[in-house]
Amino acid sequence: MIAGARQGKLSGLRRLTALAMARDLRAFIVPGADIARAHGLDIEAAGMQVVASPRHASVLLVVGVIPPALREAAAVIYAQMMRPRALFVLGPDELDQLPEADIREDLSQQDLIRGVRRLRSAFAEGAFRPDVADFDAPVLHVRIQYTCPMHPEVVQDEPGSCPKCGMNLVAREAPATAGHTHADQPELIVDADTHATPAQDHAAQHGMNHDAPAEYTCPMHPEVVQNEPGSCPECGMNLELRETKGTKSHEDAGISPDSDHSSMDHNHMDHGDMAFMSMVGVTKDLPRSSDGLPMDWIDVPFGPFFPGLPGGLLLTLTLDGDTVAGSSVQTPGGNEELLQHSALDAGSFIERLAKVEPLAPVSYRLLACRATENAAGVEVPAATACARVGALERERIASHLGWLALFGQQTGFDWLQRCAASLQLKVQNAGIRQVLALKPDIAFLIKRLHRTPLLKSRTAGVGRLAPNAALRGPVARAAGIGNDARSTDPSYAALGFTPVCREGCDALARLQVRVEEITHGLALIVAAGAIELPAPINIGEASGAGEAAVETPRGVARLRLTLEKGRVTAAQLETPSTLHLALIDPLIKQLALGDALLAIGSLDLAPWEVRQ
Amino acid sequence: MSTLEQYGLLVGLAMGTVGFVLGLYALARGLGKARQEPGKDVPATGGQMSREPVWVRYHARYYGYALLFLAFDMEMAFMYPWAVVYKQEGVVALLDMGVFLAVLFLGLLYGWSQGALRRQ
Amino acid sequence: MTTVLVLLLLLAAGTYLVAVLEAWTASGRFRLAGPVVAGIALLGREFIVPRKPDRIFFEVAPVLLLLSALLAAAVVPLTPDLIITDLATGALFINAALVYVLVALLMAGWGPNGAYAMIGGWRFLGQLIAYAMLIVMPITAVVMRAESLLTTRIVASQAGLWNIVYQPLGFMLFFVAAMALAFLPPFDLPTAKAELAGGVEAEYSGVRLAIFRLGRLALIVTLAAAAVVFYLGGWQGPWLPPWAWSAIKILAVCATMLLAGRAMPRVRDADLLHWCWILGIPLALLNIFLVGLLVLVLP
Repeated sequence: MIAGARQGKLSGLRRLTALAMARDLRAFIVPGADIARAHGLDIEAAGMQVVASPRHASVLLVVGVIPPALREAAAVIYAQMMRPRALFVLGPDELDQLPEADIREDLSQQDLIRGVRRLRSAFAEGAFRPDVADFDAPVLHVRIQYTCPMHPEVVQDEPGSCPKCGMNLVAREAPATAGHTHADQPELIVDADTHATPAQDHAAQHGMNHDAPAEYTCPMHPEVVQNEPGSCPECGMNLELRETKGTKSHEDAGISPDSDHSSMDHNHMDHGDMAFMSMVGVTKDLPRSSDGLPMDWIDVPFGPFFPGLPGGLLLTLTLDGDTVAGSSVQTPGGNEELLQHSALDAGSFIERLAKVEPLAPVSYRLLACRATENAAGVEVPAATACARVGALERERIASHLGWLALFGQQTGFDWLQRCAASLQLKVQNAGIRQVLALKPDIAFLIKRLHRTPLLKSRTAGVGRLAPNAALRGPVARAAGIGNDARSTDPSYAALGFTPVCREGCDALARLQVRVEEITHGLALIVAAGAIELPAPINIGEASGAGEAAVETPRGVARLRLTLEKGRVTAAQLETPSTLHLALIDPLIKQLALGDALLAIGSLDLAPWEVRQ
Repeated sequence: MSTLEQYGLLVGLAMGTVGFVLGLYALARGLGKARQEPGKDVPATGGQMSREPVWVRYHARYYGYALLFLAFDMEMAFMYPWAVVYKQEGVVALLDMGVFLAVLFLGLLYGWSQGALRRQ
Repeated sequence: MTTVLVLLLLLAAGTYLVAVLEAWTASGRFRLAGPVVAGIALLGREFIVPRKPDRIFFEVAPVLLLLSALLAAAVVPLTPDLIITDLATGALFINAALVYVLVALLMAGWGPNGAYAMIGGWRFLGQLIAYAMLIVMPITAVVMRAESLLTTRIVASQAGLWNIVYQPLGFMLFFVAAMALAFLPPFDLPTAKAELAGGVEAEYSGVRLAIFRLGRLALIVTLAAAAVVFYLGGWQGPWLPPWAWSAIKILAVCATMLLAGRAMPRVRDADLLHWCWILGIPLALLNIFLVGLLVLVLP
């Protein structure tokens, strides 16, 4: 039985389709395929096909912990799936906006496979049910507003008549508020609060024009013009104030506040002194593109669950055709409450930090270990430090392979996507022997990548970032900045480490840096000779302040913390993705959509580590 | 088969296809109606409700190519009958069309030099 | 009448095999029953119309895609007699029918009033501007040799030497353009999974999606069949019966089309337009000129 079944009795042809649906499971992954892989899940091997649109999915697969801010989005995805639809939750998470999970399993490949088996029988027996209930969630509802057809600036929450012309107001849906960018002012990112009252601004502008010579005219009969207010002799409507021709104050002030898109239709007809169908009149308020043409721009959300972006990243692009005119980025998945807690003992603190970022748990575990050890003044034995290097490099290889899989997905390069994803799954928990056994496969992948046609032309010059202080990790090293926390690390120095550097500053250089770091990582693991997860060393009742820096796969993360009697009382974390997030808007401006997504992808953002 | 019969057959094929599709739709409809639920009919955009209409003056960045395309597409209408009689007419046909295509090709080169052949 | 039915059944069989092949190249698993299971599953799923749609566009698009593939297939011969209708304007008619692929995709993009779909639709218009000339110009060169637009005559004209040898340049251009027309990778710009989450397909669900995908698969078969007729000598070949040669060649072309794009990243739309116009069209004109000389010089 599944909650999202279709209505009807399971009989005849319906039974046949139910059996087919049970064999043909199509999953939409929340928060994303990258997270699923980081948890060691191979969805396709478990028998489900991954789809890109919720319209094509029959299973909503929720992987791991979903932060509260993303649960609404998950509910939207669920609502937009076609029945019969099932909710398959892997992990312990409670999802308040979604219905009760149809199948719930633990986070592991075996449990996933068992869950798929249960899912199949649930579909075969319960795809149709006589009694089904609608799915509903607060996020799915719109606020209805009432507005005057002639005066779009008149907006109220109650029905009634227009104070300006007396016409009955008509209902319309309130425009969305999240991350809205105004059409005329692409560089201005307006947040939800300031956007709430655009109509009033507009009305105020109207009212403030006292100095301009005033005329009153009928909205329906432009030939009726007089100098005093009154009603129209033809239809009896109240006459409307307008500026006389030649006063351009209205245009100069910018019409941006009311040119959001739900009022676009009104906007075109808002100016009585323009001929009705004149192209000039219709387009005069529209934003200008780079080639000077007036075009409508639309705001399109990409994410938080978008197949071509890291899961949890919410990107809203203002698109001029298929070119990015502006953007805003949010990370609803970012963790803010992590360190705002009462004092934790060092062991729990380390566990907690290891869970901050599902995409690089080893790095953050190591970071927490090193910082506590530093604060307590404990020295780590050289052998342990060396084995930790093995674990860190293994994670770097796995993470870069995961990035290659996303890159393959973004560019529609199926072979790369599948090959890199399967290698990532094999590498990320492998022991040293297995890692070494995988060396030829990885070498083959890299060799094939070098010979791929079109790859260079597709990535060269995309997402160019001049060297600057905000760059971290592979992004910095691809811009010729050799800063790498590993260079100053004595255990790395013992293994003969030198950072990889490129000068290209673009997506191609970042690709090359990551590919080369995979090779280097393998060499480092061989040199280290062991892989061991960083485990907390007993620090007793130590007190003090400490700091540590670890070169995570995405760049250096720094942690400062204060220990009091073996408990962490304060901590400060600096992560690479937080800095990279701010680079996105200038990076993708005026790029075509595909290139923009590729440029963002080449930064290898982890929304989870972003501090808000 | 006369030409008219041939086109009749094609019309029949078209009707048959439409009939097949409608039959499938009827079959699918027979399995039940889609349930109208809140938010279900909003176009899917990665988990955000985007209700704003998207029918706008779309900026097709390839309009430079599109204008040239019109010229070339018109030219192709002349090419087919010419191609059929080409062998009969011999060198004359080659020269005739050669001059025409050369002029068109010069147009392409001119357009290229003026920056028509790029994303605007 | 029986010919028509036989041909439609063969087309259905070919489409089915291509569906199996496509699933194989896409997921790496060979499942003979896969497409029929997926089809029945889609039949049982709900299908809705998005809010505020252009209803007519939305409904017509999948049917039109299927229709344009079928109409183009109607003038493609498998053997001298196995052809639905040997239209006097055959080669031109294929062109005309295939142009409706663009119309269908634009409608599918515009209809649902969703951003991803609309961008996908407009992208395909740009793609048409890139590939269209590379479909029609090589066909012109084929017609020059055959002195006829009849598809059966075109096959007969290749009796001594297949066109793939006679005009290899034309074949290469036609092959690439056909892949772009069928929006196969690396030209899958209108349906790009990771850029547009399905693009023009994104808002279709249930049985409408099934028809859309069926139309697309039929289109691949039709284009492969057209490539076989224009360049690979149609039914000609030793030992085997003519229909078998046609079938083998068509499936081989389909497989090549499906596999070719999996090993490279998607082409950027601006690059596609650029290369088609500054390289493709001059090459296509050169091909016409060379074939013109060959036709006059060779007996």
